[in-house]
Amino acid sequence: MSDEDLAKDLGPLAALTIGVGTMIGAGIFVLPGEAILRSGSLASVAFVLGGVIAMFTALSASELGTAMPRSGGAYYYVNHALGPMFGSVAGWANWLGLAFASAFYMVGFGRYIARIFGLSGSVGAGPVSITVVKLIALVGGAFFVLINYVGAKETGRLQNVIVVLLIAILTVFTLLGTLRADPSNLPPATDVVTTLETTGLIFVSYLGFVQITSVAEEIKDPGKNLPRAVIGSVVIVTVIYALVLVIMSAAVPEGFIADIISSDAENPIAVVEVGQYIQGAVMGGALLFGGLLATASSANASILASSRINFAMGRDRIVTPALNEIHDRFGTPYRAIGITGGLILLFIVIGDLTLLSGAASGLHLIIYGLLNLALIVMRYVAPEEYTPDFVVPLYPLLPILGTVLSFALLVFVAGDALLLSFGIAGAAVLWYFVYARSRTEKQGILSKHVLSRSREMPDAAVNAVASVQPDGGEYRVMVPLANPAHEQELITLASAIAKQRGGTVVATHIVTVPDQTALAAAAERSDDIDQSSQHLLDNAREDAETFGVDVETHTILSHKSYEAIFDAARTHTADLVVMGWGPNSHGSPGRAESAIDELTEAVPCDFLIFRDRGFDPSRILLPTAGGPDSELSAAVAKLLQAEFDAEVTLLNVDDDPEAGEAFLAAWAADNGLEGAERLVESGDVETAIRNATEESTLLLLGATEEGLLRRLVSGTLVLDVINDVECSVLLAEKHRKRGLLERLF
Amino acid sequence: MSSETEHTDVLSHVLLPVANEADASATAAALERYGPSHVTALHVVEKGGGVPDKTPVEQSEALAEESYAAVRSVFPDADEHTAYGRDVVAEIFDAAEAVDASAIAYRSRGGNRLLQFLSGDVSLRLVTEANRPVVALPHEDGA
Repeated sequence: MSDEDLAKDLGPLAALTIGVGTMIGAGIFVLPGEAILRSGSLASVAFVLGGVIAMFTALSASELGTAMPRSGGAYYYVNHALGPMFGSVAGWANWLGLAFASAFYMVGFGRYIARIFGLSGSVGAGPVSITVVKLIALVGGAFFVLINYVGAKETGRLQNVIVVLLIAILTVFTLLGTLRADPSNLPPATDVVTTLETTGLIFVSYLGFVQITSVAEEIKDPGKNLPRAVIGSVVIVTVIYALVLVIMSAAVPEGFIADIISSDAENPIAVVEVGQYIQGAVMGGALLFGGLLATASSANASILASSRINFAMGRDRIVTPALNEIHDRFGTPYRAIGITGGLILLFIVIGDLTLLSGAASGLHLIIYGLLNLALIVMRYVAPEEYTPDFVVPLYPLLPILGTVLSFALLVFVAGDALLLSFGIAGAAVLWYFVYARSRTEKQGILSKHVLSRSREMPDAAVNAVASVQPDGGEYRVMVPLANPAHEQELITLASAIAKQRGGTVVATHIVTVPDQTALAAAAERSDDIDQSSQHLLDNAREDAETFGVDVETHTILSHKSYEAIFDAARTHTADLVVMGWGPNSHGSPGRAESAIDELTEAVPCDFLIFRDRGFDPSRILLPTAGGPDSELSAAVAKLLQAEFDAEVTLLNVDDDPEAGEAFLAAWAADNGLEGAERLVESGDVETAIRNATEESTLLLLGATEEGLLRRLVSGTLVLDVINDVECSVLLAEKHRKRGLLERLF
Repeated sequence: MSSETEHTDVLSHVLLPVANEADASATAAALERYGPSHVTALHVVEKGGGVPDKTPVEQSEALAEESYAAVRSVFPDADEHTAYGRDVVAEIFDAAEAVDASAIAYRSRGGNRLLQFLSGDVSLRLVTEANRPVVALPHEDGA
């Protein structure tokens, strides 16, 4: 068995009970009384309607879950498809939604305990008083948080027993209730709007199924079991809700429920009263016990699920990954659980039952709408790796209905809860721009798609997408290191630039492995590689730290060292690569690269190539004839000027000295190098440069054409001037996005 | 090492169960002075066994990798072995069998009885149910 199989130990029943267990606690044991009071005989319809809306999302969640069985579930899909701005919304909504839901379950739990022990009233006095129910809810909430904090495994297994027991109790209740049911008992139906509002209130009963996807990577045979569990749990709870609601309305005299709710009893629990009325004290007791178990298991499952959301958000740097730190004794993500626990207790104190359930409903409706949108995006863009085992039928009708209905139902969520939900969504967007945008590096499938087709897409769309892109944080200067002899010079140069830009130096040791050796085999005997690599990177770190810049180090194994540099620049999202080149630097020059490569591929970011003859930036010569590459040279010259007080000389070769001087003066002004000395020479360009460098310590050259550096590094091009001059040479090529046509012509 | 001691040397192939990076560093450092011939680092990913795990699989496996790296900083040639299971002690014994270890070396993480109870301390079962020598490594301060 492979490691991957060993990690999967959730069977179909276990997966199903995660969904059913999370949902059933709320729907049936806390809300029915309220629902019947509001919409009469349509209460059952309100629950079915909620189930139908949930079903659309369940189908989408199943497809996404089988295609991407990753930790984090709904948040992950939204972030992956729609990008980190919506990811931030989904993540926060999912996290806080679960915290609101847990608080709601615990208040329900408090009612059951209070009812069992006949407690009521408040403790404390005046403004600091708190109802007994809330007090019990706080104690219960703290208890379940503690259980998850220390990671007691036993609770999870108990969940399966609880779910089976609950279904049994409710089945008996329904069967016996049918014998007493009489349609004439049904309370009058109310209007459609009231019913929809009721659905908005009770939608908290349908937020468990999506938690199944958050443990997708642990489910055995997820292609089959995940959709069955997700869809199955929605079907099961919808049927149970509908039947129980009908029985509750039809088996008792009209007005029974209303009397209970409006009675003086402090914490009326409709389902228990009905059970007691129609089936006696035993059923009443069974339902009391059931409600206790159900609310507890829902809260317990939600706390665990929310820590998965935190993990996935931390992985993508939407929140700090420090949140996911594992406790060294308990092996649990104790910080995430602790913070979630604090939120739950806070929500218990400040919210009443309807606000808590409304906020949980509202936040989850936002997530469900986004989840359906994520599915539509994945289908539309259809990335190669997207191969779900389960496919939503009737695409695009069902996901569109899922999106529209989820968002539409938001309108019927109670005002204050709705305000709270949108407030949180708005705050999450703000959070993205203020905190996460500079940290997350993950780009959504949708924005990749739009940006990769920027020529065909309307400008407005491209600009809108580009403006919310994650910028992956600060300016990153990558330094590929191969030869220890040049390490210090390259790191010094890179650190100087990084320091001026407030950025990070990414030192990568690229280890070239002979083509005959498989990379995997090389990785296995990586011990000796590690040691030499570690030494080199340690030196790099020390050198960079003398400049006080942040350093990251990586070791990369590759067959082709210069290709690996281009790849690494992409993977590590470098803004600038500073690399050495020359004899013994990165493989032997003369290696042929296919012509098509040169044509289509320029550098993946700005590049500086350093031909090392000692790093001395005191007198820099910068020959220019304009163009983007010499603008990069100018920027580098300016940075070196600021860091090392370098003396910069600009050189233009023009047979008409006045025109040359005029050009240089204008160019210097444009590039902020007014202070530089200006030199105009005539005659052959290479000779002029060679002569001028006799006074200089560093020659800073812009690439004269795109793709030049790539050819230079790969050895298909030799620039005599680099070899002829006696000082060090720094060649700059700017990254530019261009279509193939422009490169050809 | 001479061949006649190979079968009698308890430290010829030590299985080193480690929980996380800090634990792995401390455990490996404690073992180092006794000069084991060969070390296999073991991390048991604690599975729920039918219920969701405490941590995502992805995170558990990252934790295992960090632990192995920490062991390798002391024993560069150490092998690694990852086991998955609900019963950590049983997984340790199975792993010892699988890699044919001469002994299991571990470092109790101490703590009072409540902490040991809550975190499922494995010391007692490790020493009472073992099918091969178990070495309890001393703590830095106690050595």
